Formats: sequence, C-alpha cells, structure tokens
Amino acid sequence: MTAIETEAGTLQKGSAVGQSVPRKEDGRLVQGQGIFFDDVKRKDMGYLHFVRSPYAHATIESIDVSAALEMPGVYGTLTGDEVAILTDPFFQIAAPPGGHVKDYALAVGKVRYLGEPVVAVVAETRELARTAAEYVMIEYEPLDVLVDARAALAEGAAVLHEDCGGNLSYSGVWEWGDVDAAFAEADHVVSIGELHFDRFNSTPLECDGALVEYNRGTGQWTMYTNNQFPGFAAIMMGPAMRVGLDKLRIVTQDIGGGFGNKITSHPQLVACCLLARKLKRAIQWTEWRTEFHQSMSHGNERWFEGTEVAVKADGTLLGFRTKAIDDAGAYLRYEPLGGVIWSQVAAGMYKWRNIRLEFTQAMTNKAPVSPNRGYSRMQQLWFTERVIDIVAQTLDFDPVEIRRLNFVQPEDMPYETPNGCVYDSGDYPRAMDMALELIGASDIETRRAEAASRGKLLGLGIGSTLDSGTNNFGQSQLINPELQFSGNNEVATVKLDIFGEVVVTLGTTPQGQGHETTAAQVVADILHCDVDTVNVRAGHDSYWNSHAGFSGTYASQFAVTGLGAVKGAADMLAGQMLKLASMVFQCPEEALELADGFARIKDNHEAALPFMALGAIPNANNAGFPDDPPTMNCRYVYRPPFEVPDKETKFGNLTLTYATQIHACIVEIDPETGVTEVVDYAAVDDCGVRINPQIVEGQVMGATAHAIGAALWESFVYDEDGNLLTPNFYDYHVPHTLDMPPLKTGAFESPSPFTPLGTKGMGEGGGGGIHCICSGIQDALRAAGGAIVTDSHNPYHRVWEMLSHPERSRETIEVTSR
Amino acid sequence: MSTTSTTRTISVEINGTSYERDVPASLLLVHFLRDDLDLTGTHVGCDTGSCGACTVQLSGEAIKSCCMLAVQADGSSITTVEGLASDEGELTPLQQSFHEHHALQCGYCTPGMLMSATALLEKNPRPTEHEVKVALQGNICRCTGYWNIIEAVVAVGEGGAR
Amino acid sequence: MLLREVEYARPATVEEAIALLSENDGARALAGGQTLVNVMKARAASPDVLVDLADLDELRTISFSADQSAIELGAMVTNTQVIASSEVEVARPILAEVAATIADVQIRNRGTVGGNVCVNDPTNHYPPLLAALGASFTIRGTSGERTVSAEEFFLGVYMTAVAEGELLIRISVPTRTPGTGDAMAGITLGAHGTYLASAVATVGVDGARIALGCVSSVPVRATAMEDQLADGDFSEAAVRAAAQGLAASLDPPSDVHASAEYRGHLAEVSAVRAVLQAAERAKG
Repeated sequence: MTAIETEAGTLQKGSAVGQSVPRKEDGRLVQGQGIFFDDVKRKDMGYLHFVRSPYAHATIESIDVSAALEMPGVYGTLTGDEVAILTDPFFQIAAPPGGHVKDYALAVGKVRYLGEPVVAVVAETRELARTAAEYVMIEYEPLDVLVDARAALAEGAAVLHEDCGGNLSYSGVWEWGDVDAAFAEADHVVSIGELHFDRFNSTPLECDGALVEYNRGTGQWTMYTNNQFPGFAAIMMGPAMRVGLDKLRIVTQDIGGGFGNKITSHPQLVACCLLARKLKRAIQWTEWRTEFHQSMSHGNERWFEGTEVAVKADGTLLGFRTKAIDDAGAYLRYEPLGGVIWSQVAAGMYKWRNIRLEFTQAMTNKAPVSPNRGYSRMQQLWFTERVIDIVAQTLDFDPVEIRRLNFVQPEDMPYETPNGCVYDSGDYPRAMDMALELIGASDIETRRAEAASRGKLLGLGIGSTLDSGTNNFGQSQLINPELQFSGNNEVATVKLDIFGEVVVTLGTTPQGQGHETTAAQVVADILHCDVDTVNVRAGHDSYWNSHAGFSGTYASQFAVTGLGAVKGAADMLAGQMLKLASMVFQCPEEALELADGFARIKDNHEAALPFMALGAIPNANNAGFPDDPPTMNCRYVYRPPFEVPDKETKFGNLTLTYATQIHACIVEIDPETGVTEVVDYAAVDDCGVRINPQIVEGQVMGATAHAIGAALWESFVYDEDGNLLTPNFYDYHVPHTLDMPPLKTGAFESPSPFTPLGTKGMGEGGGGGIHCICSGIQDALRAAGGAIVTDSHNPYHRVWEMLSHPERSRETIEVTSR
Repeated sequence: MSTTSTTRTISVEINGTSYERDVPASLLLVHFLRDDLDLTGTHVGCDTGSCGACTVQLSGEAIKSCCMLAVQADGSSITTVEGLASDEGELTPLQQSFHEHHALQCGYCTPGMLMSATALLEKNPRPTEHEVKVALQGNICRCTGYWNIIEAVVAVGEGGAR
Repeated sequence: MLLREVEYARPATVEEAIALLSENDGARALAGGQTLVNVMKARAASPDVLVDLADLDELRTISFSADQSAIELGAMVTNTQVIASSEVEVARPILAEVAATIADVQIRNRGTVGGNVCVNDPTNHYPPLLAALGASFTIRGTSGERTVSAEEFFLGVYMTAVAEGELLIRISVPTRTPGTGDAMAGITLGAHGTYLASAVATVGVDGARIALGCVSSVPVRATAMEDQLADGDFSEAAVRAAAQGLAASLDPPSDVHASAEYRGHLAEVSAVRAVLQAAERAKG
C-alpha cells in the first residue's frame, strides 16, 4: 500500500537513529494500560458539568443555582460572579483594542458564543451533575449575533467586548519588497475577488478534561490533564489565579490526540482549580464531543479579498497584494498570534519578492479559535497554492511547470524570504517530481478517459506545502510590541540512576508522536547502549523540573527542540561518564570510549565500568575522590538561535526549520451530483534527518487524513443565530476507513543545517491534502465549465454549485494584460 | 409479571471474571466498565455512538459499549482490550502486529480498533483489505489515517508476514 | 452523554412487554438501542420507562410465511442476522444488501429492523426500502393483532402506526418473483454514512415501484414516475424522461449538507439510478 524511498542524509547516524524502531509507547497502549486523564480517579471526587450558554450573544440577567444545590449529591457550584472576584482576567496577547478583552474561566456578565460555560455544577456522579445542571436557572437577554468576521468589522455592528470598543482584535499591514514596482513590471495582473479558507479543526478522539486536586496544606493544585502546552497554560493561569506558577502542577501521561486543539483549556482548568479549593475535593471534568465542537479550538477561518498577482509573460510570479480577514471567534486565547504566524510562510514555496498583505482579525459569536494542525501557515500556503493554480489556469500555464519555475530552488538554500525568514533546506522540484511519479501523472490522460467512460470527471491535483517548525516567540512582538516573549526552549534530563539505569525526562507533552521512542533512540546512540535500556518517562510533569516557559508539544518542533534538549543532556551525560571513568581508571578521557553499555579503555576493553558502577559511584559511593565526581544527572535547555525580529519592518527569522511536503491526488467527480471522491493519493515528505522513518511516515499519513476530511466533509457551520450546525460526528463527518484512498508515500532527507541533529519538526504537515484536493477538483472541472475553486472546503453541494454555475467563480477572476 | 425499577442487579462475565453489581438502569455499559470496574482501557470519544472508541466484544460480536446500557448486558460475556494479552503480558498476534506496523499513535482509538479487529479475525481469519475496512468502518482514528491499521490486521491473516 | 434516571423492565414474553407498555405512561420499547440510547444520551427524549425486548426470542426469527409468498422478519432481527440469513438471500436479497450498508458492524450487530422502522427517521434505510417492496407490518396490542401496509405504517417523522402500549411484532416482505429486480441508490455523507437522498426501486413485469427517503417525513412513492414506466420500457432514455419533474414535485428539507433544491435534485438522480439498476437485475 505504501512505498518508502529513502535517501539517508549526510549526518552521522549511530545504530538506533534512522531506524524504524517499534515504539516503546505501544506496549501499554495496545493493552489498554495507557493513562489518559479520565482514567485517573480519586475517592469521592466530584464530577463537574458546565452549564453552557444556549445563546450565541446575550447578557446574563440572573443566575439561580439554589435548586441545583438542594439536590442530594450535589456538592457545589461556581458562577462567573465568583470567578470575577477570585481571579483576574487572563493575560491578553493582543495590543489594544484586542488587548482589552476580559476573559475569565466562566462567562462574566454576558455570553459571547453558543456553548460558552456559564456555571459549573459538581456532583457525586456524572449523571447527577448533568441532571443538576438542568436545574440551574439562568435568564438571558439576547443580543444581535455576528457570525461573519466581515460583518463584525462593519460600522454599527454589535460589539462583543465593550472594553474593546469594537470587534477588531488586530490589524496590521505586512509589506516587503517593492510591490508597486512589481505590478508596474508585470505583463499580467490576475485579480481574484475572494478566496475563503474554512473553519474546522482536528477533532482529537479524546476531548479535553482534567482531574484536579488541591492540597490545602501547601496551596498547590495538581492537574492530571491533557493540555498540550503546559508552559502556556501555567503562564495564563498563575497570574489569573494570583498564585505563583509553582502552585500549579500539571501532569500529563497519555493524550488522545492534540493537533493544537488542546492548547487553550486553561479557562476550564481554572474553573476546576477554584472548585477543588472551594469544595475541598478532587474535581473531575470530562468534556463531551458536542461540547468540544461547540466551544473548543476552532481553526482560523480566513478570507483573502481583492487579491492581485503580478505575473511575467513567462509565468514568473513577481508578487501579490491581498487583504486577509481572519475570524478569531468570541475570545482571544492564543490569538492574535495567528496574525503573525502566517508570515513564517508569507511567500509560500515561491521566489516572489514583493508582498503586501493587510491582515485584519475580528471577533465573532463563534467558538474561540486556537491553533489547529497547520496553524495559520496552512491558510497562507493554501492561499499561495490557489494563486498559482488560478494563475496557471487563467493564463494557460501548466500547473507543474509554473511551480517548477517559481519554486525556491535547492541551490538557493538556505533561502531568506522577503520578510527575513530562512528556509533552511529542501528540494521542492525533486519532491514534486517524486509525488507526480508516485501518482502516475504521466498516465493521467488515460485515466481521465477511462473515468469519462464511467461518466466521471477526473482531475489531478498538486499541493505543495511547508511545515515551518520551532517558533521564535519574538514574532509575538510583531503584533504587540509590548510583549516580553522571544526565542524558544525545551528541556530534557538524562541521568544514570543508582543502579545505572538510564532515565530520561522530557518537557514535552506527546499526543502520539512517539517521543519516548525517538528520545530513546537519540540517547542510545550517544551513550552506546540499547534503545530498550533507555527509560523515558511518559508525558510531562512539572514536578520533574524538566520544563521551561515554552515547554509543550505544538508547532512542529519536537525533533528539534525536544530532541535538541535530549541530545544536549545525553552529550553532557556521556561526557560525565567518560570523566568519571577517567577518574576511576586514572587515565585521560581521550583514552576512553562508551561502547556496549560500558565506559572502557579503548585499548583495553577489559578495563570497563558498566553503567551500574557509573551510577552507583556518585550516588552512593563517592568518598575518596579529590574532585567531585560528576553527578550523572544532566539537565539541558535547548535554545534555538534566534534574534528578536525587527518590529518596524516586520523582518526576521520566525521559525528555525521548514519541512517540505508535496501531495498529489486523483479525484473523481460525479457530474450528476457533485459527489467527489479521492481515488488515489501520493505524499512526499522531506523533513531533514528522520530519527524514526516509520514515525515520520505516520505523521504524514495523519496529516493527509486530516486534510482529506477538511477538504471534503469537515466544517464548523453556523446559522445566522450562531447555532453550530455540525456539533457532533453525525453532521461533522470525519473520514472513516472506507473513505480513504490508497496511499503511496515517498521521502528523502535534506538535513537542516541549523539543528542539533539535522532534523526538522514535521508533525503538522501544512494542509497539503487540502491544497491538492482543491487543485484536483479544479482540474476535473476544466472539462465541465471550468469553475475556479475558491474555497478550501468543497463538500458535494459546493462542487454541485461549481458544476451548475461555473461562471460564478470564473467571473471573480480578472486578467489585465499589457 | 415483571416490574419496573430504576436499578437492577446484573451479572456479567468480563474477560473471564464474573461480576455481580447493582447498577442504575441509566448507566451506560462503557461507564460501568470504566468507572465501576476500573477497566479504563475502553474509551469514550464521542456522544453519538459514532466513533467506536468504546468497542468491546459481547458474545463475540463487536458492539459499541456507549450505545448500550449496563442492564442490557445482564447475563452476557464481554471481552475488553484488557482481556486480549495473557496475564503474563504476552501480546496477541494482532496486538503485536499493531506494534510492528505503527498502527497506533496516541493510542486512544486503539482498544476499540483491536476489539473490532479481534471480532473480525475470529470469524474471518484471513480477511482481505476491503473486509478489514468494512470491519473497522465504525472506528474513527484521527492520528493514523487508517492505512497502517488496515495493513496490521491484514498481516495477521497472512500469518503475521511483514 | 448521560441519561436521566429511568425505570427499566425486561419482560420474558411479548404479552408481558405489551402489558408494561400499556400500563406505564411514557414507556418506550428498547430494541437494539442504537438510536434510543443515543437519543437518551442527548436528552432529546427521556422516556420514563424502558421495556427491554432482549429476551423476546419469538421476535428474533426469520422464516417464510406459510404459503412461501413472503419472508417474515421478527422485529428484533438484527441487521447482522439479515446479512447472514440464507432465507433472506433466497427470498429477497436486497434486504441483506441494504443492511450491509447501514453505518458499521457494531451498529449492525445490535440494531434491529424493527427499531429502524419504528424510529422512522427520514434518513433511515428500511422505510423507503420496505415501502418500495410492499412490505406489511404486524402490530400487537392489548386488543389484539393487526397488519398494516407501509403507507399505513409510516405516519411522520419518528411516528408510526405503533401506538402507545403496542409492539411491532414482525415485518413481512413479499418474496421476489422471477423477472423482478430490486435496487437502492442514493447519496450518503461519506461511505456507508447517513443518506442525504435515497431511492429504492423494484422493477418487474407490472412496472416499477419507486420510493424515496430523505425528502419528506415519510417515504414518498414517485407515482408520476411509476406511471410513466408502466409500459415496461426501462431504457435509460425512458427512465430519465420518466423522472423529469420529480425534483420539482418534491418539498424536501434543507440542512447543512443540502439545500431543498439540491436534495430534490439528488433524489431525482437517485430514482433514475435505482430504477436502471433494478431493471438490469430484473433481466438476470
């Protein structure tokens, strides 16, 4: 079903790194012995159910919890009034006016999206909490609802957050090069009226939740949860709760998928913390699927309006202008970082130097947005891929050749983009050729004819994308100059225990990416021991002192930051082991080596200290050394090399690595119905050095599946009253086994020159599947009216619309030629 | 003449162990397994019976334990993921195949996948790729895209060949 | 996701079940539970009493009628049973073919034919199928037993002729006669997903019976199309001509997946496809 073509990179590899070592995580997970937050129990814990707003926008006139409190078995409640007394609003990333948003753990004074938590009810059983919630009486006064970001920005629109004066959260003009000159030089200007990237997310199978305990003696909370960015959560929670961050212990072990959607659960965690303290018992909160869909982590919906593209006669793209309008939903939780993060890939994969993008973000009466797999870069890359496909079709260029002409070339690497981002390495033409070969592109006309004989329209689509990884948080200053965040970090510890066991702790919060395994591979090679003997503690625990401000698993970085920290700590430990052996053997360190689980003299393998001895000496047997023996307990903080970007010019390197994915697909459209099927698929990945090729391929597959879902079925659709019409898996269809096309994968490695191991983060993928399915649909429709695909989401009814009225989309494209 | 009651004493055999418990009629089988019996390997991923993370075998058939009341299981024999490997931790060929084929990432859908696949293999020891897809159609995964899972199940049928 | 408190009983006989249903206000029969349990989890409906039919073995049989003219499915027959049944395969294989496309294995293992028709969700598979096949439905209550046609059985969304205190006992489906072909066609939300539009056709020497799901509160017979096809010409041109105006004659619901107009169009296309496939099968 799949084929991997591998080309090893040029960096050194030991015996574990580079191998598809089967995962350490699997043993417990296939036996159902994983520990997910809902598996953690405490005696007499109280089950929490949130009473949620049935209105998308309303003032809260009154709340009466007395009837609920009277029910036997109900332990207590929490309301917004209490929250407003006990906590301060969450820190806001935005500058004014967005920075004036007041966001609390529960709605205070008004509700701003359907499903917003208003009251928390805690009871003896799950069912009772749910039932008691029905007895909480809340009176609302409905207000006008805004479900379109453009309407939210219009004069006289209802205002969600009065303190902001309007619904604008952020706006900025991003311009580099000489855009006017580019348009003056252009032989053609292609205008595209409107492009729309739809709102969806990755629906991890496990929803959010926590088991929260409060220790009244120490004033510390312990949260067994699945928040995937504990560094961020703690920074948000501590000041709000008016406590130091050391009072907030966050523990994760197994997380049932994250994909960015588990970054902003801090409001609910605060509610749990307050209740744990108030009710003097552990609090158990499990979010249900419908609640997740209604209220958590939607991806950024973004319009690109009035796009103009400057094109030379030979197809060279000189530059573009566009207005991006982004919908942040009802609260700014990680936003408006989406307003800068797109610029990591402002130019996409192409060499144009002249770019102007006006970015405006508005708040609306929809679920708050948060990072979603491909966060904000996916939207920009989709935009550039639509642009190149639309330019190709409009000006009659071959979509493959125009990409080849405009791609940043391998000899240009490392390539500095117009805004100072550095694409570290890659070979886009080679990846594209590989994808086209895997999909059988040379045969396409035969396949098209065969499909036509069955009454189907067939299309070939290409989607090229980048996964920019390892953020420089200094980019936050480009949307709010007052922020004091920059750079990035991740922590790991590697130690020898008293009996010589190698134990690794990470600051990351894996949700299936195999951190335990890849970390063990890196350590095993450095220490020259077996992967099986390296113990990696599962998950994240702030008690381990193995984390820093940016710790977590998000933004495609583990292979760089997490493994960079692991390498640093393992290198440190290896050095200490050799040093200790030199102290014991009284010989220079150069005469020693680590091999086969020993520190030994190179010329005399009999003189060897096993790990057990090396661990025991400093721990339990350290007398007699004139100098302190090294501790064998190494903590390393990996810090990627970044500068703070220039705020005036919005110029600087924002991410350390850029993994490439190029996808190709064959779609078939039923012209009678618009039903679209992906019948064949190829994905090529280049993420630099692959520590574990099988794990890398798994990430490519997962990203592909998410993209196919988003392209054809997945969308958070609201009606004009702010009701979510796709609140669960009945109507929000995600792909099942029978929906998936056959898949061929290919890979090669362009190592990153910037990272400790030559690796690049690659887990998000960049939405390549969305780009290539849009491209494939447009290609298929050439034979049936030539509609232009202008939306990222193309369910059957939209394809039908394009079949029925192709002129509607074509009319939004204009060409001016000299 | 039977009467109605809000609770019922049920007897169930789970992974070879017999349990007798008094349960509310409103209790879902999945919560009975997870909360009352501490068999937390079976997971909850949705609230509409769509995702299959809660799949167990009841009398050999794959069923969604969130779409069944515990009282409906009275008198039944159930296998959960905890009942697959031996007490000594020896994995079944299917579990081993999942491991070898990287058929799991976060592991949340995995128990349900294993139970659906186990039920399939008991009836059809050498399923085709299509038969595997049909058997797993009721199990959602968001991490793997299913390709490795299907390969892992087919491989068991082919004698675990890789 | 969590049920309200509910009373529960598990009768040993059909008579006990009927007695419980008639004596308890707000009592609902619990068959496979694949719909009802989910409805109760969402608290869209919360019956006061659940009468579990699990032990009523007499409702689980598949057999031929005495004169072999029909196959009789007990109301508690599961989809998996239908798929595996050699009687169904001989008598009316379309039943198994359709059953195999319902949702997924887990749901088919528990979901029953009776439950599916008693729910009468417009997107369900069995209502239009049984309407096209001319099935009849036997209902028993305290005052005895009666048998009704599909038109009499399906009354509205979630509403059937089974009144409070009554139980659907069995469904009789005429066995297929030589020269007859059956087919179901439609558009689903993903493979084996919920129907957006569906059509079932039975083509035989007497012409065609065509029933549409999804477009109304009950299955709709496409009578104008049936009339046009009475002459027995099932060529593609004739079938398409007969379907002209079908979409326009409908008043389908509109939802996030399909506008009324689009759904009507899909229904028309599905009707054409169902008839063509049924006609093809009638030859063989």
